[in-house]
Amino acid sequence: MSREEQFARQICHVLDRGTEKLDHGIAERLRAARERALQRQHAFVPSLAIVGAGETALLGGDDEKHPLRTALAILALLLGVAISYYWNGLSQADENEAIDSALLADNLPPTAYLDKGFQAWLEKQAAPAGE
Amino acid sequence: MASRAELSNFLAEVERRAYKQALFAVRDEDAALDIVQDSMMRLAEKYSDKPLDELPLLFQRILQNAIRDYYRRSRTRSEHFTSLSAFEGDDENPGDPLELIEIDDEINPFAAPHAALLQTETLSIVEEALQNLPPRQREAFLLRYWEGLDIAETAAAMGCTEGSVKTHCSRATHTLAAALEAKGIRP
Repeated sequence: MSREEQFARQICHVLDRGTEKLDHGIAERLRAARERALQRQHAFVPSLAIVGAGETALLGGDDEKHPLRTALAILALLLGVAISYYWNGLSQADENEAIDSALLADNLPPTAYLDKGFQAWLEKQAAPAGE
Repeated sequence: MASRAELSNFLAEVERRAYKQALFAVRDEDAALDIVQDSMMRLAEKYSDKPLDELPLLFQRILQNAIRDYYRRSRTRSEHFTSLSAFEGDDENPGDPLELIEIDDEINPFAAPHAALLQTETLSIVEEALQNLPPRQREAFLLRYWEGLDIAETAAAMGCTEGSVKTHCSRATHTLAAALEAKGIRP
């Protein structure tokens, strides 16, 4: 170690003594600042933890530490799948109902749409007048 | 990723030195506390997913940036109220008057034993001498020797080259030695 470094180390030793003698009020305010900073981390971590829990459950990893969290994640996943299935079924039923209503409310009977002559007449009507 | 306990221990370990660093730089207790608190929050919010061994350098970068931001804001405020600073020379780099410091080569600060540094009143003299260092010299000295960063890490934290770090550290050490000797303390 060079003389310059030795001198620097001694200066730092003196500075360390200064931090030990820090005013109590300042030390308390630093502690409070640290707590506030840690709360910010606390607010950030749980959102990641749920993702981690799902991954752990699917991969069969170490789930002994957080069994409740793993169970909740699985439950949430199953609930999501069930709601999605039910919602899709509901939408399909609405669509079918609208088609049925339109057919029944029409002036034509539904059997008219199965008649080939009627289909040909419709195509002829839809074709441009010049053709 | 650092756990809450690990982050807490890390912050508890560095908070006092961080406060002193900020205080040497801004010379205002409340401002220094604000700087440390902002730096801690930034580290906890943005970088708590980083490995524990990366935290010291990250924290020092955040802290030094916060100190520089404070300088910048103070400078803007003072320019708003007075135009005197326009007559004070190099306006581009007011925080780095490194070239203005001349070390008297006749003084050999490392000539005597180091016993005098152990005296109690030495603390205030050392702190005052540190406060009076040019900002970049003080920053390099504290990061390199007090925080124990190596030269490459210090350069990364300061945003300069490794050569500049060596120069700043060497000049800071000589300036401190000369300042202590002027107060009757032979390091």
